[in-house]
Amino acid sequence: MITELLFFPAVLVLLGALVLPLAKQEMRPSLFLVFPLAALATIWIMPDGFTIKTSLANYELILVQANSLSRIFGTIFAMIAVIGGVFAWHIKDLGQQSSALAYGAGALGVTFAGDFFTLLVFWELMAVSSTYLIWAHRTAVSQHSGMRYLVYHSLGGGILLTGILTHLNDTGSILLSSFPETFTLASLLILIGVAINAAIPPLSAWLPDAYPNSTITGAVFMSAFTTKSAVYVLMILFPGWSILIWLGVAMAIYGTVYAILSNDIRQILAYSIISQIGYMVTGIGIGTEMALNGAAVHAFSHILYKCLLFMAAGGVLYATGKSKLSELGGFASKMKWVVGLYIIGALSISGFPLFNGFISKSMIVSAAGSAHYEWVYLLLTLASVGTFLHTGLKLPYFTWFGKQKSEFTVKPVPKNMIFAMGIGAFLCTLFGVWPQLLYNYLPFPVDYHPYTVYHLVEVTQILIFTFIGFWIFRTKLDGNPKIVLDTDWFYRKPAAFTRTILVNKVDDFFGLAERVVHGIAGHLASRFDNPMAWLNPFSTEENNARSYSSPAGTVMAFILFAFLVFSLYLIT
Amino acid sequence: MKTWHWTTLIILIIATLIAEFTLLSDYDSHWWNSIPGFYAIWGFLSCIVIIYVSKWIGKLFLFRDETYYDH
Repeated sequence: MITELLFFPAVLVLLGALVLPLAKQEMRPSLFLVFPLAALATIWIMPDGFTIKTSLANYELILVQANSLSRIFGTIFAMIAVIGGVFAWHIKDLGQQSSALAYGAGALGVTFAGDFFTLLVFWELMAVSSTYLIWAHRTAVSQHSGMRYLVYHSLGGGILLTGILTHLNDTGSILLSSFPETFTLASLLILIGVAINAAIPPLSAWLPDAYPNSTITGAVFMSAFTTKSAVYVLMILFPGWSILIWLGVAMAIYGTVYAILSNDIRQILAYSIISQIGYMVTGIGIGTEMALNGAAVHAFSHILYKCLLFMAAGGVLYATGKSKLSELGGFASKMKWVVGLYIIGALSISGFPLFNGFISKSMIVSAAGSAHYEWVYLLLTLASVGTFLHTGLKLPYFTWFGKQKSEFTVKPVPKNMIFAMGIGAFLCTLFGVWPQLLYNYLPFPVDYHPYTVYHLVEVTQILIFTFIGFWIFRTKLDGNPKIVLDTDWFYRKPAAFTRTILVNKVDDFFGLAERVVHGIAGHLASRFDNPMAWLNPFSTEENNARSYSSPAGTVMAFILFAFLVFSLYLIT
Repeated sequence: MKTWHWTTLIILIIATLIAEFTLLSDYDSHWWNSIPGFYAIWGFLSCIVIIYVSKWIGKLFLFRDETYYDH
């Protein structure tokens, strides 16, 4: 069993979270990298079909189940834990380091889980450990935001658990397997629970609320784990559910609109995550082999370039202390490396040829085309125009170029941060130039070639004309010092009112009741302090009630005892 | 944007149009493939629609002051 646990990627990484506090502070950054690297190695040593089973009560649990899909997701999660570890090399906050590893363990656990119970345990581990990455930012805003995040995910976990229990009641099985496309209570609850983590609108407001408020390094982990592990679970449980096609398209456009409106650079990237996950959800909804391959490969690519983008945005926040477009501008020459590496991430997400967005996004879009979802094809193309517009043009242009919009100094960015971005940029380019490196490991055989004349013509025309549109209307996109309402309005705005009704008013009522009861007790005590005043109204003798208490108590005890004996007699 | 940037873009557009009319002239898997330069038009229209519609929705419903949730 112990040797088997070595092949449990999640346990390996979780072990890191526990060992880290025992090591010296100087050792921790390098020790941090050991565990995800070990997990990465085991993921590739495990053969297909490898399982670790155990039993709990009458149920057989499959703790680890290796197949090509879980290997793809597991690999990228472990890789991001490593890249994030390099990015956070300079951090001296043990809490952040340990919770980042525990968070990665959660994501890996979900990815390799073969049953609902194991899945749920790691699902909750992710929710709890990632919350600390928000709180560790240590601002009043992040305290509140983290609490909202935790409550939202506890609700999501609760809904998922209810769904799992209903499913168990219906079928008697807790093993993960895809649901037939019918809405039962169980499938609906599980879908909602997973949709919360996948940030499918209207259940998505936690994401753009939390990610911009997390720590600089925490945001890198967060951008990778929670949503993409939910995408993996959607792929396992709900492939081919047609509702996901249109939810995905709506997501892609919704994320775009909000990213265009947002002012905070990390919030723009957060909305861009929602938009990108829209592609994957659409692919899962289409459910053909090509679409599912596309969703998997796009998740892989997306995690790489999104973490690169979050690292660069974190670099800006680190160097200037600012993250709003309306306060930045005009300092590209002071952080050339960060700008350059960001641009590589931006080209990747926008789907430029030779970068990894091109080889993955086009696969989902083409799958929509070959399954004859023509409007899905066109709307996803529209969303990718939006992606280039907000992440590829608006964000870098107004962050680094143009004129400086407020006073700030630019601190140098630590070398390890630049190096981590370099790894990300290298991988984005590597998989873009050499897609077979990824295609060979997808769940289904791939018969798809991204570098065709048709795609190159399509992408070149779209990107160039998007750029021309941006250049003409660019003043419209400048940062606007406003916030943008999202569905979190529904729980943030009534919060004060709810608190008044359910907490303050209830408190007031109990306070009042307590005062009344104390008042009555005090009044009675003072009235009966001199029992002679009641027993013999004509006496003037002062008698304290306390001097009567022990004889009176004895009499009471006798009466009670007699009553007890009498009732026992009645019973027998 | 310098002149050579624009020149490069124009050359690229012309190259894609040539490729479209020569190599892809019989390509008709989607209804829009019969429209010449469709992706250029779609890209430009999408860009304008996204900018204007987003801004319009923003101004109509979504923009609030940064202190909106504080009170």
